[in-house]
Amino acid sequence: MIVVPEFVPAIFASWYVPAIYAGIIIAFIGLIGIAIQKRDIHILILTDIVGLAMLIFVAAVGTDLAEALILPGLVVELAEILAISEILISREMRKSNKQSSLLPLPMVLDMEIMTTAPNFLVLVLLAFGAFLTGFTGGAVAGGGILLYIISRKSRGLPIAEIEGIGGVSGIAWCLWIIGFVLFFIAPDLWLLSLFMAACGLVLKVASKIGLIGAMIREEYNRE
Amino acid sequence: MFDLSIWLYAGIILAILGSIATVIGPGVKDPIVRTFNTEVASIGVSLILLTYNHMLALMTLVATSVVIVLILLRAISRLEEMGSDA
Repeated sequence: MIVVPEFVPAIFASWYVPAIYAGIIIAFIGLIGIAIQKRDIHILILTDIVGLAMLIFVAAVGTDLAEALILPGLVVELAEILAISEILISREMRKSNKQSSLLPLPMVLDMEIMTTAPNFLVLVLLAFGAFLTGFTGGAVAGGGILLYIISRKSRGLPIAEIEGIGGVSGIAWCLWIIGFVLFFIAPDLWLLSLFMAACGLVLKVASKIGLIGAMIREEYNRE
Repeated sequence: MFDLSIWLYAGIILAILGSIATVIGPGVKDPIVRTFNTEVASIGVSLILLTYNHMLALMTLVATSVVIVLILLRAISRLEEMGSDA
């Protein structure tokens, strides 16, 4: 017996069984493929198929809850594939004692925009990110920091070292948690707690994307 | 007017065909061909999300599948540069 809440449309409920069967079939095919493969990179590619089967399972619920669960599922799958591919590459480097280029693409970063107006663009991006706040604003501001680091690097200028990005990240977490708790103990202060959570999140995401820039810079320096 | 279920079943068929093609399709000894075959299954899942009206999830799926293909191609070409058969 399946209990269906009344706000799920009847047509979604009638699609539940075929969608679940499709998910099971796809997951089975993907897992069989993983079981018979021997080369690691092929197994990594087949993991993608199993992730898609997971998406079908979640989507078959058909409510807003499904949509809210698909977003973190996709992001976690992306992070997982990125991490496993890095592990594979570094293991091969250690095994064969050979280096490989960081970005094996025919890409040169001497676009004109890197030398003419990067500072203006970075200021605009940072201001717009601070105005947006929240996750989107953090992504925009972090993109600004990344553009700044890449443009300084491509002009061969030294980059101002910012120590203690981890500390900023910790303070941002505290802001976010305090804002979240305030929602429950003092609902009257909802605007203050909303802004605390949003500003915490903007600092958090911007500093994380800035850290990606710092990592790229260190890898370039090592070469 | 089409029956709405057509899109769901089209998505399911594309997803299953794409996953079969990824596992035992022609030319999958080459990891790049295998990566491109996963895109067929990904389009199928996009159709399924479209029938369920999951707009945000659909946009995120499109964005992440592009990024995943970039990551995989980078890993493949770095591994081939080192001449490994992993």
